[in-house]
Amino acid sequence: MYGGGNTFEGIKTDSIAQEDPIRLAEFEARIERGEKIEPTDWMPALYRKQLIRMIEQHAHSEIIGALPEGTWITRAPGFKRKISLMAKVQDEVGHGQLLYSAAETLGKTREEMIDDLISGKSKYSNIFNYPAFTWADSCFISWLVDAGAIVNQLANAKGSYGPYCRALDRICAEESFHLKYGHHCVIYLATGTQKQRDMFQEAINRWWKPMMHFFGPSDKISAHTEVLMRWKVKMSSNDDMRNQFLDMYVPKIWELGFTIPDENLKKNTETGRWEYTEPDWEEFKRVINGDGPCNKERLEVRRIAEERGRWVRQALKKAQTQYTVPLA
Amino acid sequence: MNETALKELLYKIADDQLILGHRNSEWTGFGPLLEEDIAFSSMAQDKVGQSYALYQMLQTLSEKDPDTVAFMRNSDQFHNSILVELPNGEYDFSLIRHFLYDTAEAIRFEMLSESSYQPLADISKKIRAELRYHTLHANTWVKQLGSATEESISRLQRSLDLAMPYALGMFEESPYEKELISSKIFGGEKELKDRWVKKVETIIAQTQLNLPDWKTLQPVTGGRAGKHSEYLQPLLDEMSEVFKIDPTAEW
Amino acid sequence: MKSLDPRVNRLPVVGKPGEISPKVPLDQLGTFEVFVQPKEGKPFQHEGIVHAPDVEMAFVLAKETFTRRFTCVSLYVCDTRNVYVSPLTEATSNAYDLISEATEKSTHKTSYEIYHLLKRGKQHVHVGTVQAGSPQEAMAEAKKVFKNDKTVYNIWAVKTSDIRFTTDEEKDLWLTLPEKKFRDASAYKGGDKLKEFLERHNA
Repeated sequence: MYGGGNTFEGIKTDSIAQEDPIRLAEFEARIERGEKIEPTDWMPALYRKQLIRMIEQHAHSEIIGALPEGTWITRAPGFKRKISLMAKVQDEVGHGQLLYSAAETLGKTREEMIDDLISGKSKYSNIFNYPAFTWADSCFISWLVDAGAIVNQLANAKGSYGPYCRALDRICAEESFHLKYGHHCVIYLATGTQKQRDMFQEAINRWWKPMMHFFGPSDKISAHTEVLMRWKVKMSSNDDMRNQFLDMYVPKIWELGFTIPDENLKKNTETGRWEYTEPDWEEFKRVINGDGPCNKERLEVRRIAEERGRWVRQALKKAQTQYTVPLA
Repeated sequence: MNETALKELLYKIADDQLILGHRNSEWTGFGPLLEEDIAFSSMAQDKVGQSYALYQMLQTLSEKDPDTVAFMRNSDQFHNSILVELPNGEYDFSLIRHFLYDTAEAIRFEMLSESSYQPLADISKKIRAELRYHTLHANTWVKQLGSATEESISRLQRSLDLAMPYALGMFEESPYEKELISSKIFGGEKELKDRWVKKVETIIAQTQLNLPDWKTLQPVTGGRAGKHSEYLQPLLDEMSEVFKIDPTAEW
Repeated sequence: MKSLDPRVNRLPVVGKPGEISPKVPLDQLGTFEVFVQPKEGKPFQHEGIVHAPDVEMAFVLAKETFTRRFTCVSLYVCDTRNVYVSPLTEATSNAYDLISEATEKSTHKTSYEIYHLLKRGKQHVHVGTVQAGSPQEAMAEAKKVFKNDKTVYNIWAVKTSDIRFTTDEEKDLWLTLPEKKFRDASAYKGGDKLKEFLERHNA
């Protein structure tokens, strides 16, 4: 569950001038032809660096994303929800596993990535720094945060890096279960008792703001990424993804008789774009830099999980255990 | 067929599977290695799924629907063994419990696949196949950690010593034991236990772990009769927290 | 830690909050390549990797990491270090053209499994087995046997004896997989409920 566009930072493109122009031209021609880049191919340093950063953030978002929904694993109401939520959260861990592997093919080890997550050096989707107060919050995440992630992931699956695309193909297939499961949960809340309806309305009220943050800062203030678009690393602009999400899901939320806490939210029929109150990007920045309601807890939980597992992993290690960069 | 005996049997198995599945699901997202997190979660899902199927079978015998049965009973109405309700502890305890429990379940469902109650025989054949992975997983892990580092061996040994009296509680006999055996519904706890002991000995012999002396062990029983440890009721309260907001609602 | 998650509230105290001890080398163990056969008669396909200490554990961990949905009849794993990889080509260039004919003729031959990458971005797929005395010879042998008019961008060769296969007794590990519908989008049909609600709502 990753919405992309996590930062404001610009990228330094100076290093491109240092690259071998012939190899660079071949590399760009390959992408232009629509062929994927594979791990043993030559690639510009900047391409490698940006991909590691993006795939790693994506992986961390899955691992941390398992926590707010995991809050409700032991309390899911009824057999069907119980099994489904377990499987859903398990998938998030599985997505993390797939994505770390894809990032590893670029040369960063899983040890380094997990260390960087726990130390706060690497980022993950901001939305998981918010708490899941009720069962309905977990339903909001399963349906709408996953829906948002699918918008980003479907776009990225058309990107240029083979291992990331392969991981995303698998992930997107699994996400269709998440989305349907989430929508199913919400339909049951919406068509249920007044109490159930209220629960979900409150969840929307809590989660709308982070949901609008999910795709990253507005194009007006985010850094230009032409070279990353040309190299098919970044596949869609933050605002385009946000607009696509609103287009697909606002009508579905309204259809269920719920309101969205933004009085300016409407579709401009002339431009075909959604208009909304500009999200508070200062808050976004603050939360991503560590000052959100749950940042500390999320990282602390991961730290404890890793520490508790340390003796297990040490014991598994054999004299002949060696690490090689995975192949694909 | 003695329906009361059959129901008693189904309840205790289903309750075991549900409570251990629930306990094991607490590891989802917190496991020692990503791959193991996924594997352990799958087995928790299998267990909850198996309990659901058995509660559905009970429903055909005019018991209440599975959700009501699972989410609305109090601890004294549960027939699970105390072993499965104990807190997870560290991974050594969860793993040892998984090994001791699934070794027994694999044999239990193998025996039940011959049951004279056809629906139970049918479902047991499927569950038996599903449990093949659970025992492969448990055996592989116990063999690895049971002969690895000083820490892993001593942790597993401690957990084995701690779990064993509770594990023997799994074989607490039902008041209908004779009827179950004579009507060929189930071969009985005694046979199950004997086969289990052999299997456990075979695996542990491949490790540096030691089994306690069977003769001196006192089984911790009571679970089958609804007498539980202090851990079960809080588990049930947590499990049914949302469900009980409105038990008549559809979630 | 005071959390909304009861599971988190039960976590033990481990070290000090925020005190980070970096991972030691090999904390995440080695990597193993995972191949899956979706149906009887279909070829094995590379699906990804698992981190594990040895092939046996890799097999156990690969099963739920890669085959917990869809269909599967068999799975195998091998150490990443035991995969011999040909050069990677692009456009219309065939990787087999970069492989030279075998010069040595070994007397001690053993079998190797051969895999092709037919499209960049897709998976390596098993094409067959050859007998050879070395990985280089296996590649050359594969060129004789498997090269045709299709462009192959990358070839892998793995010694058969380095693979941990699914045994015959393990074949029913996936017996109930098709019944695990709860992992499938098709199990969540809310259409009727929604329609009824909308009709009531709009009436």
